[in-house]
Amino acid sequence: MSDEMTDEQKEAFVAKLRREVGSTGTPTVARDPVNQPMIRHWCDAMEDANPLYTEPDAASQGPHGEVVAPPAMLNAWTMIGLVPRVNDPKDPASGVYAMLDKAGYVGVVATNSEHVYHRYLKLGDHLTGTVKLVDVSEEKQTALGIGHFVTTETEYLDQNGGHVGSMFFRILKFRPGTGRTASSGDDTSNERPPRPRPSRNQDTDFFWQGSRVGELRIQKCLNCGYLQHPPGTRCPACGSTDMGYVVASGKGTLYSYVVSHHPRVPSFDYPLNIGLVELEEGVRLVTNITDCDADQLKVGMPLQAWHMQTHEDVSIPVFRPARAPRNPSTLTFDEVSVGDELPLCPIPLTPTLIVSTAIASRDYQDVHHNRDMALKKGSEDIFMNILTSSGLSARYISDWAGPDAVFKNLKIRLGAPNYPYDCMTMSGSVTAKRESDDEDIVEVSFRGQNSRGPHVTGTVELALARK
Amino acid sequence: MSLNYAYHSAIAGIGATPFTKDSGRTPMDQAVEACLAACEDAGLPPEKVNGMVTYSAEQNPEIEVARNLGIDELTHFSMVHHGGGAACGVVAVACQAIYSGAADYVLCYRAFNERSWHRFGAGVQDRPAGAEASEVSFSWSSPFGLVTPASWVAMFATRYMHEYGATTEDFGRVSVVDRDFAATNPYAHFFQRPITLEDHQNSRWIVEPLRLLDCCQETDGAQALLVTTAERAKDLKQKPAVIASATQGVAEDQHMMRSYYRETITGIPEMGLCARQLYQSSGLSADDIQTAIIYDHFTPLVLPQLEEFGFCERGEAKDFIRDGHLGRDGRLPINTNGGQLGEAYIHGLNGIAEGVRQIRGTSVNQIDNVENMLATAGTAVPTSALILSQPR
Repeated sequence: MSDEMTDEQKEAFVAKLRREVGSTGTPTVARDPVNQPMIRHWCDAMEDANPLYTEPDAASQGPHGEVVAPPAMLNAWTMIGLVPRVNDPKDPASGVYAMLDKAGYVGVVATNSEHVYHRYLKLGDHLTGTVKLVDVSEEKQTALGIGHFVTTETEYLDQNGGHVGSMFFRILKFRPGTGRTASSGDDTSNERPPRPRPSRNQDTDFFWQGSRVGELRIQKCLNCGYLQHPPGTRCPACGSTDMGYVVASGKGTLYSYVVSHHPRVPSFDYPLNIGLVELEEGVRLVTNITDCDADQLKVGMPLQAWHMQTHEDVSIPVFRPARAPRNPSTLTFDEVSVGDELPLCPIPLTPTLIVSTAIASRDYQDVHHNRDMALKKGSEDIFMNILTSSGLSARYISDWAGPDAVFKNLKIRLGAPNYPYDCMTMSGSVTAKRESDDEDIVEVSFRGQNSRGPHVTGTVELALARK
Repeated sequence: MSLNYAYHSAIAGIGATPFTKDSGRTPMDQAVEACLAACEDAGLPPEKVNGMVTYSAEQNPEIEVARNLGIDELTHFSMVHHGGGAACGVVAVACQAIYSGAADYVLCYRAFNERSWHRFGAGVQDRPAGAEASEVSFSWSSPFGLVTPASWVAMFATRYMHEYGATTEDFGRVSVVDRDFAATNPYAHFFQRPITLEDHQNSRWIVEPLRLLDCCQETDGAQALLVTTAERAKDLKQKPAVIASATQGVAEDQHMMRSYYRETITGIPEMGLCARQLYQSSGLSADDIQTAIIYDHFTPLVLPQLEEFGFCERGEAKDFIRDGHLGRDGRLPINTNGGQLGEAYIHGLNGIAEGVRQIRGTSVNQIDNVENMLATAGTAVPTSALILSQPR
């Protein structure tokens, strides 16, 4: 273990790690050509509905004239897969990873991925990737643990030797349990007292029972159909006492809001977003607006309900930004201005999302699907793999820009891990526009934030057609 | 409906303890001192008092105050609901008791240590607790962290800003006016400590869009008023402040501080109801009012009150304020005692006492030629208001 190493030994170890810096490994030929089933798995797992990826008729009308692979899949094609599990020992990057594993740096997280796309991949393209070891860092103390950053660059060629893209990639190999936050006990979330418990009686019980089973129930007069919240015992419209409820769609807009700073009640995180939401059914209710920053709140913003469990037997309806519908037409270069903001997009991080996207991107690292192994390697739970962070970022951008926007590159940097049961909310804005003879480029900067902080920050360049 | 007791009664005496942050005394001790001071101000022996009206959140029962004052018999005693919203309501009920003959001399009082004993601004962190309707109502807000008076008001403020283009600076201008008057009132906590709009904008967030300087104080202290008929008041020591009218109001779909479910939430319809009743019963209009105490637990709700009483059009209070009409030389100087931000927060009763001084001509910030003054009570709750006039 390296904490038993002297400075001299450490220096020697780094020198050994760096011996192969600058050399390239054996080219890896993709096991399969670019194919529709893998694309479909990817699109299903990422919830990417861009028709250019899966629908031949729509794709034939698009800028590529046929079905293409999502550009963010670039490095999925040559992923080593589950069988064979063993890397080529002569590959310089694999050699460094093996040395680090042996020295106790068994934890692994990817931190940077920068794709450059020369052209979109079509069905039948057969890729070869060649990895070059670019850098191995000194030993660094990071939040996750003590470790080394390993940087590689991969060139992708097609079956004709043509350059289709490249990837700059960086991972951190770290020793589990050596992080700044490890066992420091500063995570007080478990010690937090529960929220004030809603009290209920025969007039209001239906509401809380509903939230417990994931339903937002609004009192409805069974005689005249009048809806009211908070519930009463008699219809103010017609006087009937025959009261029932409807299950609301959960769609609403922000009617008003406050951001609470003081006094701080120990049950809550501050600053605390509290909203007055107007449901599409017409009634309003007080709730929390989760998964967005205070400065992202705007009167009128679309919201979607979800149910937060606050006690063993209590859930309460709260709201997060609604996912904007996919743009079916494509923005033109002229329609976009620097400073334009993309709509917020929440991505609930279910275990299914994390596992299915890891597998769809052919990333079989156990930390992305096996909780026991993830814990053993210094993680709190399974966590999202970086290909998925790229894929979801690309989906977010493409859903805004439209199906025919052409990705020229996609550069991301990871921060806080995406663990299950959290939610990552994407936001972004247009940060540059550039015109040239053959292409008009728009740069978008984006961020995906979860409850711990930014998970992903990045930029993308898109080619957009002129009107 | 007409209020038959218009112009029938008057406030004949006012009395208060010092307003502090740590009285070192019991609220009961302060209640008794304030009541005695009000009687003394009027020149009335306290044993002549036969009516007492308090309002909810008062923890000093009138029977104990009466015992301490040496009052043997009470023929009217009542408690008006809804805390600060009842500040003028206690006077309205006193008027009704006197007009009906149920009592001759009525004391209204408020006494508490809401700074040193418990922090009133901390809200209802311990509620809901039970299954009664009054408790269950908190279930629609407390589980989401909306537990403080500041947060309840802030929800109205955000919507008001959105619909009418008011800004936090407009709220700040109310605060600056209050503190300007407080600066020249030796009785005010913030005596000689005026603020600028910049100070307001630099003060920390409490609940956005409310900053610290949008929020009233928490105070230890007591205030009492003595009400009797305008006729009897003439025989007492002070010039009577005639109660032209006093009224209460609850409007459609009213909730305690959280009437968020109405078609619009930028107005205060229960205050509009008070305005209609006051003007109708007194025969006065906004043009007849020279100064006002506009309830200022939190600055944002001062704006719609100005609109409900017709001092400006709906949505235009921000312009009225920007034009300087609330200050010393404005069309309607308000809160000349410094208000509850500047003087003290005695749930509105100290403001009514200032109204009495404006009628008498004895305010430290006396406004010229005051014929009639308006006082309002706590907003967002069921509320009340009154107009005091010169004796005829």
